[in-house]
Amino acid sequence: MMQGDSAQDTGVQLPLDLPVTPGVQDAPTAQPAAPRQKMFSLASLMRTKIGKSGGRIKLVAVAFASLYLVIGGKLIYLGSKPNPETTHRQAAEATSRARPDILDREGRILATDLKINSVFAEPKRIVDKDEAIERLLGVLPDLDANDVRKKIMSRRGFVWIKRGVSPVEQKAVFRLGLPGIGFLPEHKRVYPNGRIGAHVLGATNIDNIGIAGFEKYIDGLGLGDLTGAGFRVTHANLKPIRLSLDVRATHALRDEVEKGLIKFKAKAGAAAIMDVQTGEIIALASLPDFDPNNPVDALENKNINRLSVGVFEMGSTFKALTLAMALDSGRVRLNSMVDARNTLRFGRQRIGDYHGKNRALTVAEVFTYSSNIATARLALMLGVKHHQDFLRKLGQLDRMRTELAESARPIVPRRWGEVNTATIAFGHGLAVAPLQSMMAVSALVNGGRLVKPSFLYNENGVAPDDAPQVLKPETSEQLRFIMRLNAEVGSARKIDVAGYFAGGKTGTANKVVNGRYSQNLVFTTFTAIAPSDKPKYLFLTLYDEPQGIAETHGFRTAAWNAGYVTGKIIERVSPILGLPPRGVYPEQPFPMVARSGLGLPSNGRKWR
Amino acid sequence: MIVRYLNVIAVAALIGSAAYAYSIKYETILHSAKIQKLKNANQKLRDHNSILEAEWAHLTRPARVQELADRHLKLQQLGLKQIVAFKDIPARPPKTDSIGRQLKLLGLAEPTNTPRTPSAATPATPGLRKEGARP
Repeated sequence: MMQGDSAQDTGVQLPLDLPVTPGVQDAPTAQPAAPRQKMFSLASLMRTKIGKSGGRIKLVAVAFASLYLVIGGKLIYLGSKPNPETTHRQAAEATSRARPDILDREGRILATDLKINSVFAEPKRIVDKDEAIERLLGVLPDLDANDVRKKIMSRRGFVWIKRGVSPVEQKAVFRLGLPGIGFLPEHKRVYPNGRIGAHVLGATNIDNIGIAGFEKYIDGLGLGDLTGAGFRVTHANLKPIRLSLDVRATHALRDEVEKGLIKFKAKAGAAAIMDVQTGEIIALASLPDFDPNNPVDALENKNINRLSVGVFEMGSTFKALTLAMALDSGRVRLNSMVDARNTLRFGRQRIGDYHGKNRALTVAEVFTYSSNIATARLALMLGVKHHQDFLRKLGQLDRMRTELAESARPIVPRRWGEVNTATIAFGHGLAVAPLQSMMAVSALVNGGRLVKPSFLYNENGVAPDDAPQVLKPETSEQLRFIMRLNAEVGSARKIDVAGYFAGGKTGTANKVVNGRYSQNLVFTTFTAIAPSDKPKYLFLTLYDEPQGIAETHGFRTAAWNAGYVTGKIIERVSPILGLPPRGVYPEQPFPMVARSGLGLPSNGRKWR
Repeated sequence: MIVRYLNVIAVAALIGSAAYAYSIKYETILHSAKIQKLKNANQKLRDHNSILEAEWAHLTRPARVQELADRHLKLQQLGLKQIVAFKDIPARPPKTDSIGRQLKLLGLAEPTNTPRTPSAATPATPGLRKEGARP
């Protein structure tokens, strides 16, 4: 309220409770009575009433103070919290890997990501299309000219010109200075070891998504879901994965299988080494195979992993299972006699022996002479149901799933009668994946625990706790004994490499062609364990349609091809895996068997 | 009067705090830009590292090493007889003085009496009675 102001000049109406100057009130006003009242109600809020100003000022002060308090409090709160990672910040951290590395059991790289640039074009933005096409083809000569022309002449917004250019090429394209051509960083999956472990590793397509093998398994673990939903995977999620494979052993294995494939003119071959205690697959090779760096033929039929995707009748390898079943039941012992004189007849079908002895054989002799008749008799003695239950217990009748995406269902006879039991006893009539039979044989020799094959590194070095006990330890020792015996006097002599005390079993199966057993085409397998007293590794080699050559005197049975190659593999790979040859025979390798009066010829003890 | 001074001080404090706040802000921007640069450099090093690791794995792949070994080295398969256990190595024979034994056989075992001043009277080597004579 300044002196010298009159109410008229400022248009301020004096409040009614203050004394009114008589002169002002009587001054003529043009405003009639009614609008005065209206102005009072509407505009009263806009007019400073000095009396009420104190309260209003306090209100405004309180409002601002509370606002600043809130801001201050939020500042303190944000300052005290540790830095939260927002996706905003993560976008700035470009990762150098989009997929986890795959390492072998020693930590060597099997698969890794490389950051490379890819050239793209935005045809809508290219000013001079002809010049762009010419210049690009000049710098990147290995492009298809028509393809590039079609892409750039189109009206699309974005096309790839070349995915994966080297730094030299990138510089050259950059120097061209063409508008509308740019680079995007991408990840390319490389496999430095080439074809080694190709079937286990699998392959990825151009978008770094797994299409086969372990790469597909990694995607299935959750990486695929994350990237599919658009989340950026951080470095922490991409810890390298350790496989159970040993790259040097796998290379040596593949080399030997390839040499054998050429030598015996076979259609296909495969081999694997498995740790019988932990179930880890130490080495795996299947030929023909593919190069994961260029997986155009990764999914072709002829390049399948014959160990886990192919199902075959394993032949005499199954005799080990049948004998284990008979010995485990307690109804026969190693020196029980089994009649193997005459062929068995089931209607029109007959079961005979290859080089039959035509006499009664002990159970140990049944194994070393590989008698079909005796094995069939043993299975029939135990009965169809017992046989089926045993095979199911060993996992031979159901699909076996490992970390690899590919697996196969065994071919089981729909109606299982006595003739089926008899033929399945010596390995004809039931087709399983070879990896499945490796699982069964390793259960036979490792003390009786069924350990599933696994491709992941096992840090503990012992079998997983949930591995069921399917055989008695005594039965396991008897099986080890007869496998060693087979290597000393039986058909497995080819793998009796000095110093490794190995044991094994051959398996020759006639292939089924047009629904009938062929007389000329065979499928040979060889299963070996080393060393036989405390087995560490199980070796399996198989050949599809090997031929007899001059060196094998025209024979194409398993001992000559698969057995020969397995012997070479044991000799070459065991030192790599830390299994040294021993200069002397072990002291008491099979104590429980020795108590029943049986011994090995190498020990100087007699056996029947 | 003092209110006027307080007003001036208050205005100065206001401007000063604004300057301080903004200086902190710009300093923060500078630091975060530095951090981003360091992160980028770090990332570049990591990328380079992964490329080198992949190249190393490629150069030491077993197929290449085998080929080089076949070409340059003359290695053979390890034979069982080449491995000897430590317990099979024979123990050392007792130490003998073979040179002393030889000297004794020659009769030269006694110490010599070489005189300080040379004189041709007595021979220095024992066991030599005559010149050229051997015991």
